[in-house]
Amino acid sequence: MARWEWAMSRVLVVDDHAFIRRGVQSILHAFPEWELCGEADNGADAVRLSEALKPEVIIMDISMPGLNGIEATRAIHKNHPETKVILLTLHDNDELVRSAFRAGARGYLLKIDAEKELVQALREVVREGAYISPKIDPEVISSVLSEMQRD
Amino acid sequence: MLKILVADDHDIIRRGLKQLLSARTGWEICGEAKTGREALVLTEQFRPDIVILDVSMPDLNGLEAARRIHRMFPKIGILILTLHFSDMLVRDIVDAGARAYIMKSDTDRDLVAAVEALANRRTFFTARAADMLYNEHAQPGTSGSDPQAITRDRLTPREREIVQLLAEGKSSKEVAVALGISVKTAETHRANIMRKLELHSVSEVVRYAVKNQIIEV
Repeated sequence: MARWEWAMSRVLVVDDHAFIRRGVQSILHAFPEWELCGEADNGADAVRLSEALKPEVIIMDISMPGLNGIEATRAIHKNHPETKVILLTLHDNDELVRSAFRAGARGYLLKIDAEKELVQALREVVREGAYISPKIDPEVISSVLSEMQRD
Repeated sequence: MLKILVADDHDIIRRGLKQLLSARTGWEICGEAKTGREALVLTEQFRPDIVILDVSMPDLNGLEAARRIHRMFPKIGILILTLHFSDMLVRDIVDAGARAYIMKSDTDRDLVAAVEALANRRTFFTARAADMLYNEHAQPGTSGSDPQAITRDRLTPREREIVQLLAEGKSSKEVAVALGISVKTAETHRANIMRKLELHSVSEVVRYAVKNQIIEV
């Protein structure tokens, strides 16, 4: 019984910046409930690794060479709607938030706030919730969330 | 012990750098700064061997911070970290006194190699950056053909600093307070900048600052 309480969620990290991947790794390290199961530095590898590793959560950058994070989210969501994608980006941009959620993302987080908000976002999305950076316009957040609930 | 100071406004990047660098024996992170100005203060306080500076930081950008650190402590090895590759920056980076340059997309190994190079008083530029530098030296005419690049060189470090503050939306009065100068001096600097760059409004200053990566939007 107790074993299940210790069950870890497996997390895939996708970012073309090695230092961001190391930063995410270092944040997760402090929380035994999250296990880093793999890393990719581009969207196409993220799609491949999501097939191979079946992570519960993917933390992914948007701007990457080749397939970007939103396109990769769309591809992953199509085959594995149960996989939760959190986009971790530099861009505080309403339109990107909308596209991200339409592509199937469950979280939208700014890199500048990652240290404070990443674990909160992870906990939210594994509980089937959603997480959007509080820096995004509240009206955009509520319209994106109601659109998500309709689908 | 090799003492390293890390300056980046993103907590997660500082964390990543710390994770990578403190894993090496004999290396320690002696301080962390979130702005260029903080990097100056901590450099004076800790006297690190190496300072790693992100280019785009609020308050004082990484290049201006590099310039001042280099002027005060020429023996400190300065590594500049950028998000995007920019050929214009390579020359600026060298002029500012930095001797190593890597992009955030470079690998863990490049970072370690860059710090090792600086510790041994050598330089480190990735192949792309080195090519760019070589071309600039071989063909001095090419980099000078950009009119923005020519005019930019005429700005003093103080003026570049004021460009950043103006582009961040500060008034002359706020600039004066931030730099501890009189409002009149701040206004004179501002007028000189506008004249030198042939700009007529603050929004043009912002565009100039963005184009030349003095600030990030």
